[in-house]
Amino acid sequence: MPVLEGKELRIVGFLCNWCSYGGADTAGVGRFKQPTDLRIIKVPCSGRIDPLFVVKALMNGADGVLVSGCHPRDCHYAEGNFYARRRLEIMHKFLPILGYEPGRFEYTWVSASEGQRWQQVVTSFTEQIHKLGPAPKILGPEASDTLGLMQAAL
Amino acid sequence: MKFQKELKDSIRKALPELDVVIGWCGSFDPLHATPHFIRREEDIEKLEIGPLSVHNLATYLPGLRGKKVGIVVKGCDSRSVIELLQEKLIARDDITIFGFPCTGVVDQAKIKKALGYVGNVESCDMSDKSVVIVAAGKAHSLELSDVLADKCHSCRYPDAIISDIFVGDKSGEAVPAPADYEALATFENLSLPDRFGFWLKELDRCIRCYACRSACPLCVCRDHCAAESREPHWLSQENNVRDKLMFQVIHAYHLAGRCTECGECQRACPVDIPVLMLKQKMNKEIRDIFKYEAGVDPEETPPLLSFKMEEENITEKDW
Amino acid sequence: MALVKYLKSTDLKSWLAELAQENRVFAPRYEGEAVIFAPFDPEQEIFIKYAATAPPKKTVFPQSERLVDFMYSKDPEDLSRIKIEAQEVLPQGTAVVFGGRPCDVRGFTMFDRVYMAEEATDIYYKARRDNTSFITLACDATENTCFCHWVNSSPSDPTGSDVLAIPVEGGFLLKAVSDRGETLLTSQLLSAGENRVEEGERVCKEVADSLSQAPDLANSPKKLLEVFDNIEFWQDVSAKCLSCGTCTYLCPTCYCFNITDETQGMKGSRIRSWDNCMSALFTMEASGHNPRPTKAHRLKNRVGHKFSYYPDLHDGVISCCGCGRCIKSCPAGVDIREIVLKAIAFEPTVVEG
Repeated sequence: MPVLEGKELRIVGFLCNWCSYGGADTAGVGRFKQPTDLRIIKVPCSGRIDPLFVVKALMNGADGVLVSGCHPRDCHYAEGNFYARRRLEIMHKFLPILGYEPGRFEYTWVSASEGQRWQQVVTSFTEQIHKLGPAPKILGPEASDTLGLMQAAL
Repeated sequence: MKFQKELKDSIRKALPELDVVIGWCGSFDPLHATPHFIRREEDIEKLEIGPLSVHNLATYLPGLRGKKVGIVVKGCDSRSVIELLQEKLIARDDITIFGFPCTGVVDQAKIKKALGYVGNVESCDMSDKSVVIVAAGKAHSLELSDVLADKCHSCRYPDAIISDIFVGDKSGEAVPAPADYEALATFENLSLPDRFGFWLKELDRCIRCYACRSACPLCVCRDHCAAESREPHWLSQENNVRDKLMFQVIHAYHLAGRCTECGECQRACPVDIPVLMLKQKMNKEIRDIFKYEAGVDPEETPPLLSFKMEEENITEKDW
Repeated sequence: MALVKYLKSTDLKSWLAELAQENRVFAPRYEGEAVIFAPFDPEQEIFIKYAATAPPKKTVFPQSERLVDFMYSKDPEDLSRIKIEAQEVLPQGTAVVFGGRPCDVRGFTMFDRVYMAEEATDIYYKARRDNTSFITLACDATENTCFCHWVNSSPSDPTGSDVLAIPVEGGFLLKAVSDRGETLLTSQLLSAGENRVEEGERVCKEVADSLSQAPDLANSPKKLLEVFDNIEFWQDVSAKCLSCGTCTYLCPTCYCFNITDETQGMKGSRIRSWDNCMSALFTMEASGHNPRPTKAHRLKNRVGHKFSYYPDLHDGVISCCGCGRCIKSCPAGVDIREIVLKAIAFEPTVVEG
């Protein structure tokens, strides 16, 4: 970690067990080169992902959040990702009102065989987050803890 | 109000079959009304309806499940009733809905702002156009439209959409929606860091009383709210602006596609935090993507409880 | 005679700035559409036109406070053994609170009987209480929701304060109420106040006279116990209650708390935070049984505690300071005065036969 200190940003990934986690595995087995900023949390299905996980992650210090599930019509549980798509789309549109760039969060679909697509998604999302830089952080219990530093930074 | 007598008569007629009828009556000072639970014939006389009838009484319905309840509703309140029916949180047969043509309710915060001080109001006279308030021996005359709640200015449903008994004449014409969400649009002109700072600054004074939640007619988890749950541990008990903001996001998201923008969350807030805007943002996006408006049709399904195989208005990111 | 001084309104900020050199100073500030107590900031206006939306309770009894910090560490020799190091966190420093009203500050005397009792003292509370001085502002007007005179107080009651500031022409008459109060009145900005004492007394009397006749609450402990088991009575008065925590969190005398451990990774804190008896979880037991299952039971507790159980334990002192915030800020307009009077007036109907 220390060698990458300051070079990495913190990206949290929520991946479904059946497709996307397998896809990430395939990419690994295929030794596709990937940036290392992403930390993966495996969930049973993209339908299990409460979009509030995304907000919680951002508020607790993540710089980006990536969600990935099975392609539509391909969900292991038949329709989990259809519900997920609606929920995640809403949260994607909602985030800017809180002051987060919409690009801090993306959702997509990667199947277990799409190692190459996974590589592409991770690489492009990581680039996107690096372009945005670190996300706004809440730096203390009181608003002034954060606002003071925000003003100093400007 | 001209139809007040008619309303009292119809409540009198219905009361023997009902456990309670909920309306409004006078409160601790002439500037406030309070929810009024009519159980006995003699309670009916106290009923008062007008611009002070701000409370959305639909909030009480889920808590009275199993009882025969009569409820007096403004147009906006009736939308909450519809939403509760949609979600099968109340039974249609158990409730008797009394509708009336609403001409708008006041926003107490606006009156407070206009007068500077409302601690010692002596009298309050409301007409169709104006409000005369006597406070500390001094009379203040205000235009009613200046102190109406924002939601009333863009109200499209002044008459209860659903009712068993409707008193007075329906206003008939649906009021056209003006260029809506103006305040939201203005806010969204701010830079992202400014928006982030705005929420931290506003939420800083939150006392975590959760009145916003308790007053919300669609916060139906009641005693099992994520706000107080230890497992999962969504929020800490610390006095922390992060947790305060997170709760507002939880509230807004749990209301996505359900919120009718009655504004009770913001009205209930003792420290006047503008929390309604988060719900408006959610609603605006829901409307744009799903062409859906909550609380209009009891037979509809809220958009996040359904899906389409092909979504017309969702464009996924192209990697 | 106690020390009296005069402070010009225009010198208020400079005086607080002087006090802020040695103390944390809190003063009411207008924020959003609310008035709250915030750390004194010379850039910001002090708002004293009317009583603050939230009382200065948090200055002595914070909304949440760390009691103990702890850290887990693994024994490198035997990773299954986990050590815990704990460090008590005691409040430090002194504070001055300007602009609380007599009701607000008198509220702390209800806390004192519980948190600084002979049998047991709460060290966290005591540390703040002992190190916080109150410069209390006597009221120059009353509100519809004010009822301090119902509970043996008045708009210029100095109980619990160190200095009483009475608004007079062009400024404030500052009266030392305690020894600590005298030490606060040494600034060069203050001038002699003796010649304004009479004016101060007149202001206080005028305000007190503007309050309507207070009912006699001497009976409330007994009468509330009489309706204790009358669930219909409580269902009736609590029907409109929404079960939020506004009344308790804005109450200068509500002192209940919750203790939780908030852990992140190997570190954490044991914190104490405000809790409120309107919440269902307040009495929820681990078994799942809840002795106060409905809002009727909970509101009964709130009213009963203040007007019956507490006075029974504490020399008849009613644990309500009459500030009226629970009435004014209640989103549903629940009026505690109405409930107490209803209980006092309640006559059980005798069932014949």
